[in-house]
Parts: sequence; C-alpha cells; structure tokens
Amino acid sequence: MSHGQDNPLAHPEVQMANNRSYVTGFIVASLLMAAATVLVSGHLLPPFALLLAITGCAGLAIIAQVYFLLHMDLSEHSIWNTVALIMFIPLFVITIGLTWWMFSQLYLRTMPMIPGMPGMH
Amino acid sequence: MLVNLPGPWNPWLGRLALSEIPYTNPILAPLFVVVVVLVLLMVAGITYYGKWGYLWKEWLTTVDHKKLGIMYIILGLVMLFRGFIDGLMMRTQQAMAVGPHASGMMGAVHGYLTPFHFGQIYSAHGMIMILLAATPLLVGIMNIVIPLQIGARDMAYPYLNALGLWITAAAVVLVMASLFVGDFAHNGWFGYAPIFELAYSPGVGVDYWIWTFQLVALGTTLGSINFIATIVKMRAPGMKWLRLPMFTWASLSANIIALTSFPCLQVAIGLVAADRYLGTHFFTAGFGGNLMLYTNLFWLWGHPEVYFVILPAFGMISEIIPTFSEKPLFGYVTMVLATFAIAGVSWLVWLHHFFTMGMGPYVSTEFSVATMLVGIPTGVKVFNWAFTMYRGRLTYTAAMYWALGALFLLLVGGLTGMMLSIPAINYMVHNSVFVVAHFHMMLLCIVYAIFGSVIYWFPKVFGYTLNEAWGKTMFWLFSAGTALVFIPMFMEGFMGMTRRLDWPFDPHWAPYLDIQMLGILAYVLSILAFVVMLYVSIRDRAQHRAAADAWGTSRSLEWLTASPVPFYNFAVVPQVNARDEAAWRREHGLSAQRASHYDAIHMPNNTGNAIIIGGLTFVLGFALTWRIWWLSLISLLAIIAMMISHSAKGDPGHVIPAEEMERMDREAERAMPRADLPRHSGGVLGGAIAYDSGAAGAGSRNLRGAPDHRP
Ligand code: HEM
Ligand SMILES: [Cu+2]
Repeated sequence: MSHGQDNPLAHPEVQMANNRSYVTGFIVASLLMAAATVLVSGHLLPPFALLLAITGCAGLAIIAQVYFLLHMDLSEHSIWNTVALIMFIPLFVITIGLTWWMFSQLYLRTMPMIPGMPGMH
Repeated sequence: MLVNLPGPWNPWLGRLALSEIPYTNPILAPLFVVVVVLVLLMVAGITYYGKWGYLWKEWLTTVDHKKLGIMYIILGLVMLFRGFIDGLMMRTQQAMAVGPHASGMMGAVHGYLTPFHFGQIYSAHGMIMILLAATPLLVGIMNIVIPLQIGARDMAYPYLNALGLWITAAAVVLVMASLFVGDFAHNGWFGYAPIFELAYSPGVGVDYWIWTFQLVALGTTLGSINFIATIVKMRAPGMKWLRLPMFTWASLSANIIALTSFPCLQVAIGLVAADRYLGTHFFTAGFGGNLMLYTNLFWLWGHPEVYFVILPAFGMISEIIPTFSEKPLFGYVTMVLATFAIAGVSWLVWLHHFFTMGMGPYVSTEFSVATMLVGIPTGVKVFNWAFTMYRGRLTYTAAMYWALGALFLLLVGGLTGMMLSIPAINYMVHNSVFVVAHFHMMLLCIVYAIFGSVIYWFPKVFGYTLNEAWGKTMFWLFSAGTALVFIPMFMEGFMGMTRRLDWPFDPHWAPYLDIQMLGILAYVLSILAFVVMLYVSIRDRAQHRAAADAWGTSRSLEWLTASPVPFYNFAVVPQVNARDEAAWRREHGLSAQRASHYDAIHMPNNTGNAIIIGGLTFVLGFALTWRIWWLSLISLLAIIAMMISHSAKGDPGHVIPAEEMERMDREAERAMPRADLPRHSGGVLGGAIAYDSGAAGAGSRNLRGAPDHRP
C-alpha cells in the first residue's frame, strides 16, 4: 500500500479546490433546479416550452457542475475526469437519443396529439 | 404527509404495528421460530467458545480483500439457498395447482399458496438471485482474485471495499426482514408501472423492494469504482495491459458497465420512490406520467446488468480452461477485444425486453440487429475456448466439469436469446416461460462458472483442495436438475404457458410440471452433495494440502504466492515478465525462485466504521420502508457524520518490518507440501508436467505440481 506515505494535501484535486468555486457551483446548480421546479409546479409555460426550458436548465446545471465542482479541463491532472467526460458523451447519445427516438415512434402510434406539443415526432 | 397513506400511521412507529408480523401464517410463523432458534444457537455457540473477539477482530472489522471476498461469497451462497427455496416453493405450487380441478389448502383455492403470497415469492426470487446471490458471489471472487492476479497487496481503497460489503449485507438483511415484518413486493423483480404506485400497492412490500434495490446498487457501484481503480493503478511492475490475466480484463469491463449503469437503476427506482413518498407522477397513468418510461429506464440498466454478471463468468471460464488444457488461452487479444465489444454493445440493446410495447418496426429493427450483434463477440469467445482445448492435454477435474457445463448452457441460452431477439418470434413468446428458461440458461451459466471457480481458487485461499469426487457428484446432480427443470420449461413456453402463474390452468401442462419437480429433487440432492463436499474436504484437509501452484499447470500470477495466501499477498511484489507469469516461470525453471531481499511493507488498519455504517444503512432502509421519519433522519445524519469523521481521521496503516516479512514468508513456504519429483522443462503446449488423470488423482497431483528447486 502506498497511501499514507505521500501527502494527501499535495494531490492536484486538493490543490485545485477552492471554496469559492464549490459554493458558486452549488448555488448555481440549486438556482437552476429551483427555477425548473417553479416553472413546472406553477405551469408557467405551455407544455412544449416547459420541456425545452427544463432541458435547458438541466444542461446549464451540468456545465456548471462540471466546471465549478469537477474542475474539468485538459490539464494533465484532470485527464481522468476528462476521459470520463468523453466516455459519457456516447453513453449520453445512446441512452437519451435512442430513448427519445423510441418514444417519438411510440407516441406516433399510440398517443393522440397533445395540444401545444408540436415536434414530439 | 405528501401522499394519502392508506391505513394507520403514528409518528413513533410509522406504519409498524404488531399486526404486521405474520404470526398466523402457517409457513412463515414456523420458519420464524426456526430462524430465531438458529440465531440463538449461533450466538450461544460463539459465546461458549469465546469467539466474539476473534470474529470482530479478524472478520467484521477487516479490510483484507480476501476475507471480504470470502464473506461476500458466504453471503451469496446463503442467498442462493434462500432463492432456491423460493424456486422450490413456486415449482411445488405450480405442480400442485395445475388444472381446473386442483384442490387447495391453507387458504388457497388451488395449491397451497395464495396469489398474493405467490407474487411475493417470485418477486423476491428474481431480485435475490440476480442482485443478492449472483452479484455478491461474483464480486466476492473478483475481490479475492483481482489483487492476486495483478500482484497488488490489497484493493486500491480497502475501506471502501469493506463498506461495499456491509451495505450489500444491509440489503440482504432488509430483504430477509420482509419475510417476517410486513410483506414483500408482488410486482415482479423488475416492477411494472403503475402497479407499484401507492394507489395499487398500498402495503410496504414495494417499499422494501425499493430500498433493497437502492442499497445493493449503492454497494455494487462503490465496489466497481474500487475494482477499476485497483486494476488501473495497482498493477505489479511489468504487468502491462496486454499481460493482464483474462479474468482481470473481464472484471474490468464488467465493472465499467456497473459504474455506468447502476446509477440508471438508482434514478429509476428513486423516481418510483418519489412517486410513492412525495406524491410525484413520474410513472402514473395520469397527470403527465408515463408508464413506459419506467420500463425504459429500468432496462437501460437491466440489460447492461446481465452483461455485468456474465462477463466475469466468461473470465472465470477463460482461466479454468487453459489451466486444465495445459495451453495458453487461444487468441488472447481477440478475447480482450470481444470482451469490450460485448460490453459496448450491451448498451445498445435494452429495448429487446419490451419489443411488444409497440414502438413500431424501425426502432424494433435497430434493437433486434444490435441484440444479434452480441452473438459475434460471444461466438469469438466460444471458439477461442474450443481452440484452447483443441490438442491440449485435458484433465477433467471438477472445476473443468463446471466450466464445460457453463459453455454448454451458454450455447443453449445464447441460441434461445437469438430467437428472442427476432421481434416476430418475441411477440409470440414474450412473457412466456420460454423467456424464463432462456435467462435461466444464461444465469445458470454464471452459477456453473462460479462453482467452477470456487473449486479452482479454493486451494489458493484455504490451502487445500476440495474433494474432487464429491465436486463431480454435485456437478452431475446439479446438471440433472438443470435439464429436468428447464427442458420441460422451454417446451411449456412453446405450449403458451405464461410466466408467473399461481394457477396453471391448462391440465396439459401437468406432466411437464411433474418432471420439473424431479429436477427440483435433483437440485436438493446436489445441495446435499455440496455440503458433503465441504465436510469431507475440511475433514481430509491435511492430505490435500496444496502447493503454491495448486493444480501444477496454473498460469497466472496468483499461483506464485503461497497457498493459503498470506494476508500480505506477496512477500515481495513480483516482477512480471510474461503474459502467463506462473507458466512462464515454470517453463524457465524459475518457479521456486525466492526473493533475496525483503522490504518493510505498509498495510491498512482494520476499522469498525464500515460495519457500523452498513448497519446504519439497514436502519435507514427499514425506517424509510415503514415511514418512521425521525429514525430515517437520525440514521442518515449518523451515516454522514461517520463518513466525514472517518475521512478526516484517515488511516495511518501499519508497517511490517523486513525481518518479519522474511520470517513469515519462510514459514508460509515451509507449511506447504514439498515436491519430490525432478523438474521438467518443456514447451508451452504441455509436456512439462505429466500426471495421471481421474478423480482420485487430484490430491496426489498437487504434490507433483510444484517442483522444488530449493538447494
Ligand atoms: C449474457 C447473458 C444473458 C443474460 C444473463 C440474459 C438475461 C435475460 C433476462 C433476465 C431476460 C428476461 C427479462 C424479463 O424478465 O423478461 C432476458 C430476456 C431476453 N434476452 Fe437475454 N440474457 C443474456 C444473453 C442474451 C443474449 C446473448 C441474447 C441474444 C443474443 C439475449 C436476448 C434476450 C431477449 C431478446 C430477451 C427478451 C425476451 C422477452 O422478454 O420477450 N439475451 N435475458
Ligand atoms: Cu437483455
């Protein structure tokens, strides 16, 4: 076992950490989540716009978390995080993309058109 | 509260009440008594022999990957037994209840189980077998074998490893608790929307199901992080990627699948929990919910999960077959590529679990083709195994029997899977017992591989071999069970028998169900053979003492260190020179080479934190199930506090001085049997070691397998 012999404070993750970015990340993500919740629970937008709005919020939250919390960049010490991010992209395309395609085909065959929701298929 | 809870609730006990304990149930009440008596006997026994201290110090607080692995395996075997009892009850019910005139007893109209009870049994059976039996067994074997195969002293995160075990154990206790307090879900192991919604399943059964799933998913995810980090970071010098033993490769790919897919499950089940606890409408029929979204999310994890369990089994087969063929694995690189191809494609096929949903020809075609594509890398593997055996020097040991049995089941399961992947056929047999027989072939392939590797690696861990004759007896009984249960099941599937029938209404099915009962009998006998095998092996352990290379023809790094493996694994971390290091050293006459110089080593300390956090996760799951909010909150806070305090404290570990290492290494060396045969040298294709075959030969063979070159 080699751990315990090297100083954990010298790890790049610890070196890169700073309270301000963690707090900013947390606040930004919470605000986006709250915004999405308010939009949905108050029915503040027509259905399709609502869908777009919360998708947008989710996308922004992902970027904020990746940037502020995970300190993702191309520097040498973040390389494993970045590899994980790159592996995530095909998975994201497969899971979300194929799910979307499947549901659009399903709705085409099983659902009456939902008013206000153009472009579901 | 956010939802309309049917039935009583009070702030202190939540939904818990004395009436929730089924003391009037004619099956559960006696079982409860038996369990209580057994537990009391165990506690009394441990106290009588004064073993509490030993248990706590050596096992419950350990962070040693081998002991954690052993406990994972024991947990898995116990749950395999529990799951088997569920299976036995379902088989008995169906055999008794078949046809319109079947009589009923104990409150049931047909057979002896009411539909409500039967539903709980099949739900528990499926969940237990996949997540609480197969998964812990595989994780346990990976735990023991991976660090040994890559020449590491322990896992990358020993404490996390213990945490994973105890959280999995918490899940096991939770599902067992559902037997005696309240009831379990009746919605099948994977759940259906909207039947698991509060309105349709008002009891606590679904809640037990939710939190058991969440706990085991958490434990497995933590474990997968650990395995990946260990394989990437902790390899011995010289262990290049293309020298990794096949089992380690397979485990790496399996754990990448686990790490990426288990969160999907946690989200899917978490949303069900939100529906049931917070009153959201993710999976309801109204209010914007979408029933099929649940099925989609679940199988998004569900199919990668089946590859998470089969890939390590493929890895095990890839270790056992070369050892007993005395040849290196055929097509190593293609094997690695095939493993990762299977892992990759496993993400593209989940929809074949619900072709009948009706999403139309384009989507179905894509998923059908993708499903069939899995057959290509799987075929590559099967041919590689076949070519490994081709012109090899085969020894039919018990471990080899199980590995070959696994190959056969893989063939049957794979071909029936191919049939199912054609939507036109799938529409005919979906949700019939044909599907049930298909996935049992695959899962039994895993179980065969597990029994094979238990026999194969047992001498490494415990220092003596298991009894070959009883291992083979068990194999034949188990295989008789498999054939007698599942061949008739395939046929019933073609006759249109749907799955999960508490009352098989068609009398034509009766003979098939009766044959299956014979199969169950064979399984029962095979369990007895297993117990006898353990008993005989432990009794005769002195005669079957294993050398470092227990089989005499082993290939990978783990066979270089002493058997049983000392807690530090390798006294001196070996330098790896070749793909099959143990075989390479044997062929170059280096097997007995000892280190000339020892270094002090650094090992992690034991900690009681992991088991306490595990216990608290059980309390959390139980409190959430029964909606005891104060207890949930307290246990959650306690978990967080313990996590933070443990991280803040860190683990200084302890150092074992070089002289001590040298002494222990010499001692381990001396405890192993000495070989008295002259050394052979020979090519890779066998010829190096000659030995007689046959069951009885195994014991004596070990002695000759490890030529002694000490001066
Ligand atoms: C590798 C190990 C495998 C395991 C552990 C496994 C397991 C399973 C399980 C558990 C199900 C049933 C889902 C349910 O409860 O309805 C299932 C269904 C299915 N399997 Fe497999 N499977 C494996 C391999 C394969 C292969 C190689 C194929 C095809 C090439 C395949 C094709 C299918 C299909 C199409 C279904 C859906 C049947 C239906 O529900 O109508 N499976 N499998
Ligand atoms: Cu599948």
